Amino acid sequence: MSELTISSGEAVIFWILAPLMVLGALGLLFARKTVHIAVAVAGVMVGLAIMYIANEAPFLGVAQVVVYTGAVMMLFVFVIMLIGVDAKESLKETLAGQRFLALLAGGGLLVLVLAVTTRAALPDPVGLAAANADTNAVGVARILFSDFVFPFELTGALLITAAVGALSLTHRVRLGAKIGQRELATAKLKAYGAGAGSSLITNRPGPGIYARHNSADMPAVDAAGEPVEDSITTVLRIRGQEARLPSEEELAEAGAPYGQDEPAAVVAGAGDERKELEQ
Amino acid sequence: MFVAPHIEWAALVPVMIVLGAAVLGVLVEAFVPRTSRRLVQVVLAALALAGALVAVVWRWTVVQTSGPSALVAGALREDAPALLMQALLLVLALLALLVIADRARSEDAFTPTAAAIPGSEYEDQARRAGLAQTEVFPLTLFAVTGMLVFPAAADLLTMFIALEVLSLPLYLLAGLARRRRLVSQEASLKYFLLGAFSSAFFLMGLALLYGYAGSVHLDDIATAVPLVAGMDGLLLAGSALLIIGLLFKVGAVPFHAWTPDVYQGAPTPITGFMAACTKVAAFAALLRFVYVVTPGLSWDLGPMLWVVAILTMVVGTVLAIVQTDMKRTLAYSSVAHAGFLLLAVIALDSRGISSMVVYLLAYGLATIGAFGLVSLVRTKDAAGNLLGEAGHLSEWAGLGRRSPVLAVCFALFLLSFAGIPLTAGFTGKFAVFSAAVAGGAWPLVVVAVLASAAAAFFYVRIIVLMFFTEPATAEDGSETTVVRSEGLTAVAVVVCAVGTILVGVVPNAVIALSDQASKFLL
Amino acid sequence: MSILNYLVLSGILFSIGAVAVIVRRNAIVAFMGVELMLNAANLTLVTFARMHGDLTGQVIAFFVMVVAAAEVVIGLAIIVSIFRTRGSASLDDASLLKS
Repeated sequence: MSELTISSGEAVIFWILAPLMVLGALGLLFARKTVHIAVAVAGVMVGLAIMYIANEAPFLGVAQVVVYTGAVMMLFVFVIMLIGVDAKESLKETLAGQRFLALLAGGGLLVLVLAVTTRAALPDPVGLAAANADTNAVGVARILFSDFVFPFELTGALLITAAVGALSLTHRVRLGAKIGQRELATAKLKAYGAGAGSSLITNRPGPGIYARHNSADMPAVDAAGEPVEDSITTVLRIRGQEARLPSEEELAEAGAPYGQDEPAAVVAGAGDERKELEQ
Repeated sequence: MFVAPHIEWAALVPVMIVLGAAVLGVLVEAFVPRTSRRLVQVVLAALALAGALVAVVWRWTVVQTSGPSALVAGALREDAPALLMQALLLVLALLALLVIADRARSEDAFTPTAAAIPGSEYEDQARRAGLAQTEVFPLTLFAVTGMLVFPAAADLLTMFIALEVLSLPLYLLAGLARRRRLVSQEASLKYFLLGAFSSAFFLMGLALLYGYAGSVHLDDIATAVPLVAGMDGLLLAGSALLIIGLLFKVGAVPFHAWTPDVYQGAPTPITGFMAACTKVAAFAALLRFVYVVTPGLSWDLGPMLWVVAILTMVVGTVLAIVQTDMKRTLAYSSVAHAGFLLLAVIALDSRGISSMVVYLLAYGLATIGAFGLVSLVRTKDAAGNLLGEAGHLSEWAGLGRRSPVLAVCFALFLLSFAGIPLTAGFTGKFAVFSAAVAGGAWPLVVVAVLASAAAAFFYVRIIVLMFFTEPATAEDGSETTVVRSEGLTAVAVVVCAVGTILVGVVPNAVIALSDQASKFLL
Repeated sequence: MSILNYLVLSGILFSIGAVAVIVRRNAIVAFMGVELMLNAANLTLVTFARMHGDLTGQVIAFFVMVVAAAEVVIGLAIIVSIFRTRGSASLDDASLLKS
């Protein structure tokens, strides 16, 4: 068997990628936004794909990009987008001492794995030149469909379970008649007739229109000067990204056209709009 | 160049029956009208499990005459211990299936539709429309498929895939309870996260062992142990990580954190299924790994297993004593039982295997029976509406006067858990303890006997509560009642009770049978 | 540079993943920690396959990818259904169960 020599090109790739991958992985511990973590982990997985190819596993490298980066991590990102409105996570420790214990356990694990692998008298690497003679994919397929044909068939059960599970957790059977626009409108008007308030049938107020703020994160102001919660889109509200109404002092400082004459009137949103219309 | 593997179809029949029925069950979901779906699913699942049991018995006779063999390029091994464990699994799964399928007042234990948000109007509509989440049955069969493969797996990869096949459906099933759905969903999430965590450990162990031996076949690793020099660290760390992965599954301390929450939150019939069958499968695999690969490592791995076993017995017993919820009490008691079962693993004695079969039989019968009964004891509010299960221990007070039969059965299962003579539990404990003594682990047996004595205290306390305490009436006028079901649970409970007594009174037949399984033949 | 470097890297990634599972309170982040652990194990497998000159390790890594894909589907489905119930994927909010 021929000895394996590792080219200096591979060493360069390793020393460029490895620190980046560790940095990305550390994002799992220290980053606050779930999306950032997901992208960092996806980056780690691309790095792994390159390392697989360097390790004479081109088939696996491609599969890694397709399956892990392309499917698994993107599924994560989809779900984060779907539910991630509480995207920021408090890194405050909730169970006293838990972080310390976790670091201890992780450190122990690291020492164990490192000690075991570095101190073992590993045999000289053989390399896969012989095994990959008929291309890597063919070599993998030969083992996959001979030695491991039974587990291969068994993974079918796994995939069916996944499909059935995801479906039964999310699929809703429609019960009762389909509710279309007409039915919805009728129901709303009926509710309005029963005295449910006008907000059912009129548009909800739009976000605040000030001279200086016409962005979607500024709430509208009702006649009493209070912000109208409904006027801001739910996503912003849950994320806590809506803007705060300026206080009277701030308005006063801001000067014309609001602050100078009668600051009290400014706060009333209806008054503002009329002013703007007049201008 | 490519040699097509020889596939022993006949030997795969038990697995194929269950897997085929599971796939068929998924098709039933798609094509059978809703009104008859449940009946079809129940019959299909029961027939599949019974058929697989018959097939296993047939394979047993074949193996008795022609000896054990390797199947499908060495992925599986068909030998006496594997077949015995599979038969045990199928019996327990069949009993659990009866409990799962049972309905009280035309409502089973599962949510009408898992997609509905708990407490939403849609959930109410679904309940009134009589929907039922009949995917439960194919999912159960998928789990049983994984469990059947697990004890027979002869290479680590097959073991890993089987572990996932049995776990994934259980993660889902844990979240489908009809009542207290929030708790149930949380149980599902916790079980999933910790289960995935543990399978990552299993996988790392697998990788290190592959690095050690260059193969994942158990017998290749076993033959490499005396030959390969200089990489003992890989072997030890790999074995340790792999064993940790399996210990997670059996719920041994300190890897038990999920057990009480999941046992409490999951639908009670599923809890019974999970508690009994997962333990059988996981212990069978643990036993095979430890007995085949690591006998030469008992000096190195022994201390770890000893510590885990002692911790498991002590912590499980102590925490069971302080619980106030029935399902949590049973959960911690099952943790303690995992500790007793570890004795048979540590024994490394040929009797360890057969004693474990007896113990698992006793434990499984009592567990499925007990959880079946728990699912029948409900709370009724002042207006007579049936609420959820009576979870708190105090709600079980005085049950012996109102439903003596149920209380007597429950007491029988508790006595079996405690290991009182003339119950199956005693036979099992006796077998395991004597195997451990034969294997030289007598200090562990001392701890185990002490823990059993302490555990007997809280089992007896529950019995006293049921028979000699006045039923408490709650302030809001709610009271405990026993629901009348379709009778399937009753059948399962009676079978479990009879089995518990039979194994306790005439243990010889079971012991003789299990003695034939006392060797993993390579 | 020897193939040992890959093993060291995989050990580091595995430990980081394990700590993330224990420390992070967000179910999705914890789950990504599990994925990182699986990937680290895959790197070990691929490296050992090269060391032994035997493709089995690569085949196992391929199986792990399939398993992970199925696991992710189930896990994310569970997380989404919990989120729809509770409006949060934090494990701390999952506190109805006594710990």
